[in-house]
Amino acid sequence: MMAISNPTRADVILPESAPVKRILLVDCDAFFVQVARLEDPEGAGKAPLLIVGGSPTGRGVVTSASYEARAYGVRSAMPTAHALRLCPDATVVGVPRSAVSARSQSVKEALMDLSPVVQAASVDEFYLDLTGTERLFQNESFAETAWRIRETVLERTKVSVSLGGGTRRVIAKLATNFAKPAGVHIVPAGEEEAFLRGLDLADLPGIGPSLAAALEKRGLVRVEDAYAVQIEWLQRWFGERRGAWLYRRIRGVDSSEVDPRERRKSISSERTFFADIDDDEELERRLMRQAGSVARTMRQQSFRAKTVTVKLRDHDFKTRQHSRTVPEPIESDHAIYGVAKTLLAELRRKRRVPARLLGVGLTGLVASSATSQLGLFAEPVAGETERERTVSRTVDELRNRFGREAVMPGRLVEDDHAPRVPKGDAK
Amino acid sequence: MNFTITRQNLHNGLAAVSASIPSKTTLPVLSNILFEAKEDAVWMSGTDLDVAVRVKVPADVKELGRLTAPGKKLQEITRELPEQPVEVATRGEQIELKCGRSNFKLNGLPADEFPSLAEVDFSEGWTVTGKDVNGLIHHTTFAVSTEESRPILNGVLWELREGSMRMVATNGHRLARMGVPAESGGAPSADFIVPPGALQHVQRLFKDDDTIEVARSGNHLGFRADSTEVYTRLIEGTYPNYDQVIPRDNDKVATIDKKALESAVRRMAVVASDQTHRIRLKFEPGRVHLNVLTPDLGEGHDELEIGYEGEELEIGFNANYLLEVLRYMPTDEVDVAFKAPERAVTIEPSGDNDIDYLCLVMPLRLLD
Repeated sequence: MMAISNPTRADVILPESAPVKRILLVDCDAFFVQVARLEDPEGAGKAPLLIVGGSPTGRGVVTSASYEARAYGVRSAMPTAHALRLCPDATVVGVPRSAVSARSQSVKEALMDLSPVVQAASVDEFYLDLTGTERLFQNESFAETAWRIRETVLERTKVSVSLGGGTRRVIAKLATNFAKPAGVHIVPAGEEEAFLRGLDLADLPGIGPSLAAALEKRGLVRVEDAYAVQIEWLQRWFGERRGAWLYRRIRGVDSSEVDPRERRKSISSERTFFADIDDDEELERRLMRQAGSVARTMRQQSFRAKTVTVKLRDHDFKTRQHSRTVPEPIESDHAIYGVAKTLLAELRRKRRVPARLLGVGLTGLVASSATSQLGLFAEPVAGETERERTVSRTVDELRNRFGREAVMPGRLVEDDHAPRVPKGDAK
Repeated sequence: MNFTITRQNLHNGLAAVSASIPSKTTLPVLSNILFEAKEDAVWMSGTDLDVAVRVKVPADVKELGRLTAPGKKLQEITRELPEQPVEVATRGEQIELKCGRSNFKLNGLPADEFPSLAEVDFSEGWTVTGKDVNGLIHHTTFAVSTEESRPILNGVLWELREGSMRMVATNGHRLARMGVPAESGGAPSADFIVPPGALQHVQRLFKDDDTIEVARSGNHLGFRADSTEVYTRLIEGTYPNYDQVIPRDNDKVATIDKKALESAVRRMAVVASDQTHRIRLKFEPGRVHLNVLTPDLGEGHDELEIGYEGEELEIGFNANYLLEVLRYMPTDEVDVAFKAPERAVTIEPSGDNDIDYLCLVMPLRLLD
């Protein structure tokens, strides 16, 4: 392919054939469980049946579960209450958020010493592109390289990882399912089709439960089954674009590169409450806290957002969300919370029942430096003032120096500290 | 109620009114049109509670009465009817249409359930021509804000003065202002902030040669010509002092062919960021350079010969704001006036004319 699209370069560098890509997906094994154990070796570290996420009373959802707990059927994103019914002896611990990001960063740093191109796909998944390192590692096979990376990461960071490898990202991703836990699985070049044919359609990334069900209704369960189906039929069933996408996906076609600079497309935060919340004011306070937290993360990465989304999951698991796109990208707590508050009010107006989860997301991210539409009036029509930006950035700096609780909106102070006025004085 | 009407008249009346009916509503009667059969004509009304439209259609009325009936269905039926007289009658709470051999009965709702329209006394008001009002609406409404954060800017400011009137709209980043001479007929000066939706109905329903009576009653404004009436709720509050932000000292003026500038900006916009739409205009004597550079996408360059004698200056713009403003400029050449990179830029019709039209665009700050 490369020889056709770019003959000059291919002729010069590789006279015989285009380079075969060597892509690895490094996936941290039950990452949140590992981190919880590393952080608390005496507690979580000694509990084989460990669930991370939610609370011992059964609120919230499972973020990750130990392999031992998974044997009982516990899965991530499952309500913790349900998980505890399946595995009553499990120990439940909260998510060690800051430790997770610190460990993730050290895994990434270790990988950057081992591979020329590293892209963090999530907190516990990293793509490596080792294309062109054949000569460098000529004494070892691709699988041996992968094993060496695994050992080095374990030694340096104490985090156990599994590696899937192949000629494309999607193949590497699928191969990790065979590598886990603590292993390596490489799909050699040329054997992709045989590898894919052995899988279920539902295993392929992008094929969710509803698409899998739609395919099953037509008698297609295995990738093998779908191989024989012509693209025209897939398009007739699922529409032109989706049908064509499915046709390519079944064949493992994936031209996406491992791009270390791949930009973040969204920043979001979701929290399940310990007890359902039905009070509008309390929900607003939670929203203020979460909006502030995503806004801060975004500012640290020098972005502004054009779209704010608020998600609400009601007590009966009905999930709803509203989004609003503002004409000028915003970054300040004030502006982001302002939009989020309106969205929450809209959602609550439509259905006012106890809520179990609240989420805030920011999308349409633009570099802060790229945007500065000047306004006609001192007070902005939409968006935010320079002053509001400065306030948020100053608060960020104070928090960086003195800790997260150093400065916070007055409205949020109450939930963290007991009332200052002794009760006897109140009249 | 019983009347006979030509298919064309029925169709015209329904078309005029249906546009004011909300497409989705929780109040069923709002999907209906109110029919009122009077001595010599039939009145039809529709409303979404913010704006109401009422038209009078000639008909041969046999029996007076009132009823509401589903607007969209009536319109669809009328569109399919042959060119023959239509007999419309009430049958209890149903409306019956007979035309040739076609016969329809549709479920209606009692007229009492229909919201009453604003009561406006037109004897104490202003008189304007359709041409003047439509011209102002056309050239300013595009600039209103669609953001809910400052509701006052969701409306068009209409200033009625002795001898002249003006409309202004802005979203805080760009502004359009147009004025025309007008005889007030002795009525006092007034400022209204009118929702753009209502003005679009006015523009659609009143012809240039109509004489329109305008009057206010409380929080409502009414427009009336021979057989058509539009009522709207006004936006309450004080419009920001727009006059203060219009620069008087923009001493650098470039005269540019409007079509050429529009085409060049549109070309640059292709490569501009989807989020910021940022392009740069660099003015130098006799020439303007248009540049766009978008990380992860690429760059573009273009240049135009223009009438400009001032010093070199580079200004960043949201391409969309420039294009909008240029689209409404009524002359072949426009005067683009500016002073500094971060000051408001004004765009006006160029040449010897008495068009009182000014658009203003705030630049994008160029950091690099």
